[in-house]
Amino acid sequence: MSAKRASGDLESEVLAALWAAAGPLTAGEVLQALDDPDLAYNTVQTILTRLHAKGAVGRERTGRAHTYTPVLDDAGLVAHRMRAALDRGSDHAAVLSHFLGTLSADERSALSRLLGPAGRKASR
Amino acid sequence: MSITVYLPLLIAALFAVVGPILARRLPPGSATWMLSVGAVVLAAATAAALALLALPLAAQLPVLARQGGWSAPVLAAHDPVRPPIAVTALVALVGLGLATGRGLIGEVAALRRSYRLAADLPAAGQLTIVDTGGPDAFVVPGRPGRIVVSPSVLRALDGRQRRALLAHERAHLINRHHLHLLATELAATANPLLRSVHRASRLSCERWADEAAAAVAGRSGAAAALARAGQLGAAVPVRPRLAAAVTDVELRLSALSRPAPRPISSWRLIVPLLLLVVCGLALGNAAAEAHALLELAQKR
Repeated sequence: MSAKRASGDLESEVLAALWAAAGPLTAGEVLQALDDPDLAYNTVQTILTRLHAKGAVGRERTGRAHTYTPVLDDAGLVAHRMRAALDRGSDHAAVLSHFLGTLSADERSALSRLLGPAGRKASR
Repeated sequence: MSITVYLPLLIAALFAVVGPILARRLPPGSATWMLSVGAVVLAAATAAALALLALPLAAQLPVLARQGGWSAPVLAAHDPVRPPIAVTALVALVGLGLATGRGLIGEVAALRRSYRLAADLPAAGQLTIVDTGGPDAFVVPGRPGRIVVSPSVLRALDGRQRRALLAHERAHLINRHHLHLLATELAATANPLLRSVHRASRLSCERWADEAAAAVAGRSGAAAALARAGQLGAAVPVRPRLAAAVTDVELRLSALSRPAPRPISSWRLIVPLLLLVVCGLALGNAAAEAHALLELAQKR
């Protein structure tokens, strides 16, 4: 299944990996962060080049390798528009579907049970 | 008018109970379609039943009686529906009809705002990363739709979990879950008995997207992503609107802990299908009776 992913999907995943990182990443480090055995170094390199050409990531030469960072393009403006849309859309729950939410106490304890010790540590 | 006119109401009530139970036993894709089709057809059928109940009384109104050339005294003498029931049906039909119309206008406007927003969001692939002020991950339907995730969520997940999250949100867009939810929402406005079907559809869509996440990140990867995301949601106070979104996390996690659902043989859809057939027959019967009554009252 994962082999069939479109290149747009890979772009999303690479960008997400760069945002998740604490600092700039090399292509090799991005590959590691993606943690996907189906991906090759060259694929990641290609995607990074494409993202750079689109202006979605910044590139810097450090030593022999390039490092990449996500670009904050008018993030303030986007966030503002986003929030406005969310607030206005509050009565139309059908349009935006969410992955996250608050949990009831029951659900939270069920979650801790399912996750075991590792999950409890992570949740703190 | 015989008892058949009440059957659609009864069947809608039955579906409100059986539909969600059946949905949990079906693969989520089939379940979602079953709920959407069932809800829309039954909402229309109950509206038709209300209209048939109210018809003989409405036909006695001077304006309509003159228009149709019906004799009000004949109708009054032969109308098998007692006036209080007919009045209730008429009021319900008008009230629910107006509410559904208003709901439809509201949802269409929201959808158009969503399309505009999606077109304006900068994205790589379909992903827009925006700090919305809290942990957030959702889709904005459009052409193409967008996936919006806040940086804090991405930082909380590992590579496999991020892949699961993105696949989950992508599945919402690809399978047009917003249209399924819109259909069941409007059906529930038209017939409040179907409220439970809308809730079941919400869960079913999430399970559907969870299966897509499991396909790229494994069942445990998808479950871990869901669990981590759920904990983020719990850790940070979020707007109440978001709180309603995921109430079924436990059910979804337990679905992910079981093996992938196999495609179903179609006989398992026989119960809802039979319900719809009976509904149609009942309406046909009631309509024939109403027609006969109007014929009788026709002034020559």
